[in-house]
Amino acid sequence: MSTPILPALRGVLAGASLTRNAGYQLHPALGHRLSAAAFTTTSPLPVKQMPSRPKPPPESEIEEAFLKGSGPGGQKINKTNSAVQLKHIPTGIVVKCQATRSRENNRKTARELLAAKLDELVNGDQSRNAIVGNVKKKRADSAAKKSRRKYRKLEEERKEASEAAEGPEAAEKHTEST
Amino acid sequence: MPRIRPFTFWLARKKISPQAARLLFVCRDLLSAANELRWIREHVNTTPSKIPPNLRLHQLCSKRARGTPLQYLLGTQPFGDLEILCRPGVLIPRPETECYTIELAALIKRNLPKHKPLNVLDICTGTGCIALQLYASLTPHFPTHIQAIDISPVAISLAQRNLSHNIQLGNLISPPPQLTPILTPNTKSTVSFTLLSLFSPALLTTLSSHPPDVIVSNPPYISNKAFSTTTSRSVRNHEPRLALVPEHDDISLELNCQPEDVFYARILHLAKELKGCTRVILFEVADMEQAGRVVRLVERDEVLRGWYDVVEIWRDWPDEEHEDHIVKGEESNVAVAVKGIGEGRVVYLWNSRGGEMEGKR
Ligand SMILES: C[S@@+](CC[C@H](N)C(=O)[O-])C[C@H]1O[C@@H](n2cnc3c(N)ncnc32)[C@H](O)[C@@H]1O
Repeated sequence: MSTPILPALRGVLAGASLTRNAGYQLHPALGHRLSAAAFTTTSPLPVKQMPSRPKPPPESEIEEAFLKGSGPGGQKINKTNSAVQLKHIPTGIVVKCQATRSRENNRKTARELLAAKLDELVNGDQSRNAIVGNVKKKRADSAAKKSRRKYRKLEEERKEASEAAEGPEAAEKHTEST
Repeated sequence: MPRIRPFTFWLARKKISPQAARLLFVCRDLLSAANELRWIREHVNTTPSKIPPNLRLHQLCSKRARGTPLQYLLGTQPFGDLEILCRPGVLIPRPETECYTIELAALIKRNLPKHKPLNVLDICTGTGCIALQLYASLTPHFPTHIQAIDISPVAISLAQRNLSHNIQLGNLISPPPQLTPILTPNTKSTVSFTLLSLFSPALLTTLSSHPPDVIVSNPPYISNKAFSTTTSRSVRNHEPRLALVPEHDDISLELNCQPEDVFYARILHLAKELKGCTRVILFEVADMEQAGRVVRLVERDEVLRGWYDVVEIWRDWPDEEHEDHIVKGEESNVAVAVKGIGEGRVVYLWNSRGGEMEGKR
């Protein structure tokens, strides 16, 4: 059951803000959802219709930690740390948020982040992040194309330079988009 | 306090900025320094000032590096759904307080009869953070009447400003204008801040017409000794001692408790005078030791022990229900549930059979 999932999982786990729990095990329910998703969601969504934001998993699947140093708290010290860390128990995915001074705010953001990561894990190419990313990329690409027409010569010079600097893989990406 | 390694300073200077390296003196670790610098920058960029931004950033970082609390520099602290204004002379709300206040609101919603008027008393309100967050959480479910008291005029006027500030921000629904605060009966929710000492004889008279269903208090609880040893320098130098250390040795003798426990003993005495109408009492405490002493104050009194059949100790983060274990009192043999993780932070008393109490009145 888990065979088709692993490559996708590995991809997601490579993401910078993710860490993998050593004793990782797939929640049976999630495993089911995963394999169903892997086989059924093949038809692409109509262009430009954005999928709705994914819902965070139920609280019972989340382990929450407020990151604060040890030692006394309460009135004796005034810490400004508002970092929140969530672990999704079934998958071992960990997300962290310390964007604002508000812990409540960070708790909400962290849940949204976790929902997006799980959506990516389950739906891969069809996840909201992937689709939104694709649309953004297309827009950026077409904008880039226009400007390239104007500055083709300059672009070509730059391409040569970057090929030299970044090696074959980078060069490939550049060729793809032209 | 562990020494900060020179390498950390070097990293802060190189990877973030020289300002971050200065903030390390108070922040102690790289991540907090980076976060605080970002928040100070955001503040400089989003609030108007005659001082040029770069100079202002420099000034704020210097003050912070010398120990001024960030919240006094930025003027605010987020607390639950609210933005609480902070001014020197009034204690800054702590994250632990925020956490149990939200937990308390959830418990009240679950355990007390809906749509019946609910009276809440916040003793030692300071910025008004607890009172206002309870008001925000409870008004959709109960006609809520919150009364908050403090002995400090600066605190009371700041708490009042915090009410209007959060109404302005759209975080709170405006309560109807009140001429006689707590006496406006039952239909609409109200909140009022009153300049009054816990030890004033006037308190009981004010309360007896509308006895509180819930009493919550984060009183001064640091002993003289702990103030000079385990209290951080920034707190000692910048926050008001009146908010931190109880100075009522005569009363603590009278109430037969340690000097730093005098507010708890006095509030429990008040609860007795209110004849058990109060269903929920929540105290913030310094640590597990003080929590144990407060539990014993309840258990040594036959009447209180009879009313409050549920006695719990919560740690810093009560909403993490990992642990749930039992502690036994030294003198009495009561079992107490200890919830959450972190240091002992809250003593929670709950009269689960409220109805009977009203019968006894
Ligand atoms: C630790 S602060 C709590 C502030 C706020 N409730 C909070 O949680 O952030 C304690 C407050 O108790 C007030 N206080 C000190 N003695 C008092 C007394 N005898 N009666 C009422 N309030 C008192 C202080 O002015 C201070 O605002």
